[in-house]
Amino acid sequence: MTEAVEPDFDVIVVGAGPAGSVAAYRLAQQGLSVVLIERGEAPGSKNLSGGVLYGRVLDQVFPGFADEAPVERRITRHVTTFLTPDSAVSLDFRSDRLAEPVNAVTVLRARFDPWLASKAEEAGVFLMAGVRVDALLTEPGPDGSPRVVGVRAGEDELRARVVVAADGVNSFLARDLGLRRTEPTNHLAVGVKTVLRLPRAVIEDRFGLTGGEGAAHAIVGDCTLGIGGGAFLYTNTESLSLGVVLRLDDLVRSGRTAIEVFEHLLEHPGLAPYLRDAQVTEYGSHLVAEGGAAMVGTIATHGMVVVGEAAGLTINSGLTVRGMDLAIGSAIAAADAIVEAVAAGDVTASGLAGYRRRLEAGFVLRDMATYGRAPKFLERTGMYGAYGELAADVFHGVFGLDTTPRRHLLGVARRALKESPVTVRQLISDGWAGVRAL
Amino acid sequence: MKIVVAYKWAANPQDAEVGPDGTVDWSRAKGAVSEYDPVAFELARVLADTCAGEVVGLTVGAAAIDTPLARKAALSRGLDSLVMVADDALRGADGTRIAAVLAGAVRAIGDVDVVVAGESSVDVGDRQVAMTLAAQLGWAGLNAVRAVTADGGSLVVEREVAGGVETVVAGGPVVLAATADAALPRVPGMKEILGAAKKPTQVLDLAALDVPAPADTIAPVSTARPDTGNRQGVMLDAADLPAAAAQLTAALRQSGVL
Ligand SMILES: Cc1cc2nc3c(=O)[nH]c(=O)nc-3n(C[C@H](O)[C@H](O)[C@H](O)COP(=O)(O)OP(=O)(O)OC[C@H]3O[C@@H](n4cnc5c(N)ncnc54)[C@H](O)[C@@H]3O)c2cc1C
Repeated sequence: MTEAVEPDFDVIVVGAGPAGSVAAYRLAQQGLSVVLIERGEAPGSKNLSGGVLYGRVLDQVFPGFADEAPVERRITRHVTTFLTPDSAVSLDFRSDRLAEPVNAVTVLRARFDPWLASKAEEAGVFLMAGVRVDALLTEPGPDGSPRVVGVRAGEDELRARVVVAADGVNSFLARDLGLRRTEPTNHLAVGVKTVLRLPRAVIEDRFGLTGGEGAAHAIVGDCTLGIGGGAFLYTNTESLSLGVVLRLDDLVRSGRTAIEVFEHLLEHPGLAPYLRDAQVTEYGSHLVAEGGAAMVGTIATHGMVVVGEAAGLTINSGLTVRGMDLAIGSAIAAADAIVEAVAAGDVTASGLAGYRRRLEAGFVLRDMATYGRAPKFLERTGMYGAYGELAADVFHGVFGLDTTPRRHLLGVARRALKESPVTVRQLISDGWAGVRAL
Repeated sequence: MKIVVAYKWAANPQDAEVGPDGTVDWSRAKGAVSEYDPVAFELARVLADTCAGEVVGLTVGAAAIDTPLARKAALSRGLDSLVMVADDALRGADGTRIAAVLAGAVRAIGDVDVVVAGESSVDVGDRQVAMTLAAQLGWAGLNAVRAVTADGGSLVVEREVAGGVETVVAGGPVVLAATADAALPRVPGMKEILGAAKKPTQVLDLAALDVPAPADTIAPVSTARPDTGNRQGVMLDAADLPAAAAQLTAALRQSGVL
């Protein structure tokens, strides 16, 4: 082997999203020299705004973060809505137990990501913004497979003992090394999202909130025009985040564009009461990995670990989209494993194996396995059309007082089911699959 | 030769929100080196390299312009050092006041031969700060500069004038405002950003600059979307071209244009 070049840093972290910033922070806290490279002019500038952060994991890194970080609202109300073209059936879960300790908050990435990155900077991380990493520097590793020794951007090279690939869903770093295959389209979804401006008081009125409380609505049914996926509507302080997540294969099959489906959602009468007079201020589209545990491949190799969405760590259960919490969880596990590996002087794949071990012991890979069936469950097309109709018929039977005598609820349900294309067998089978998947 | 690059850490207009009534909300806009300023950095660096000169960056504004990210963003663009005046008293200051504070800082830096600035700032677009700065300093001011070279102790400056290019020679200290395409700015690489963190930054105290308080402050009373005139927004389907052409002439006749 050639004489090893002295590295510029202990660790290079690529990507200043939640995964990268938390990993960098945690590494610097434990005394390693770290550079955090972000292609955007500032952290968050390239990241699609908004979302619900299931924040308990961030409390492990920054206790009580919700009091300090730029969070929008604390979610105390989760609403699940089945839409049909002309009706909406909702299940409303609100509980003070969701408020204390803080379970979930809404964040706008343009504000939240810079905060996280500034915490890393305060801990001593060298933040390098406006630089896109073009390639990994590799040398032959102990077993012949490549060992990552640094990164290249433009004409410059930077060397480190370990590289952390935190470069998001399209992770070209992981792909570059052949750690991730090109995903089949049923493992990918496309998300379209917008931020709609509304005055604070109007939001609190419409969504039944007070103070810093927030609501998260998950919407399924007619909102996606029968395409596998769902929609969400989250409250920020003075804006709403509205989006759809559509299965790529289904979308392609439907011959529609994501924008078309999104516009259908924007104009849906079931959402009109919430969206009236709101102004679109931001608009974006992004891929989401939703292959469940099936998509997580090799996450540690010689001199490199892959964290967050770059490692395929997202869960789309149909009712919740999770990614930021898993990104943070994986970042903690990776950072601690790297500290251990650097101390032991072994940053090969086996030296970094502590990363996967920690992930398996923690919530990240367990949740990935638990929800592993969710994508399959959501492939059952009833979820997107017929069930909404069925639920609407049942509730219409109960509340639609048209002077005919009321039937017992069970009778209403039976009749609705008889008129629905959904069979009892299918309902039971999907119900069972759902219970197992969610 | 001591060259100062006067630049602005400006809000990015891409993040600004314009309401239907024309009001502009900058609250979510992030700061960056103003879009037309990297040209000035480039001109200054190239000039300095040909005459063994020194390049000092200079920016003034509210306290928020002084962050590690903002320092590195400037210092990685070919500066030797950076000077800042970051004081909340300057939040929302108008161009005249900014020019006065810049002049105070140029005097404080001392022995400056030339100040290079961009054409205008990307957020406010005053197009006068550089020339007001020249007036404040009592120096010559040249705008629309497309090239500058050193010739002994003087500067040979090319300006874009109506219908052509003019070359002038400036002997004494001078303020130059570059055109937006006077040079192709380099994008800072990793080594330059790493190097930036090691270069000196000096923060000047606004009070110590002894800049007289402004006699008057100019602030916009309203903003409006551009007037689109009485456009009717008629769209014709051009799939069948001859038919579309016929529709077009008919529509133009009907509205009295033809
Ligand atoms: C429509 C939609 C809705 C979602 N809703 C939610 C939600 O409500 N809750 C939730 O928890 N999650 C949600 N997610 C998922 C969540 O956004 C991601 O899981 C999360 O952002 C992953 O974090 P990360 O740090 O791994 O990657 P990212 O946030 O994608 O960060 C990657 C960073 O790397 C940078 N980068 C990439 N390549 C390079 C390079 N070559 N050089 C330098 N920098 C590079 C990027 O600019 C970016 O800043 C949603 C996703 C979508 C698309």
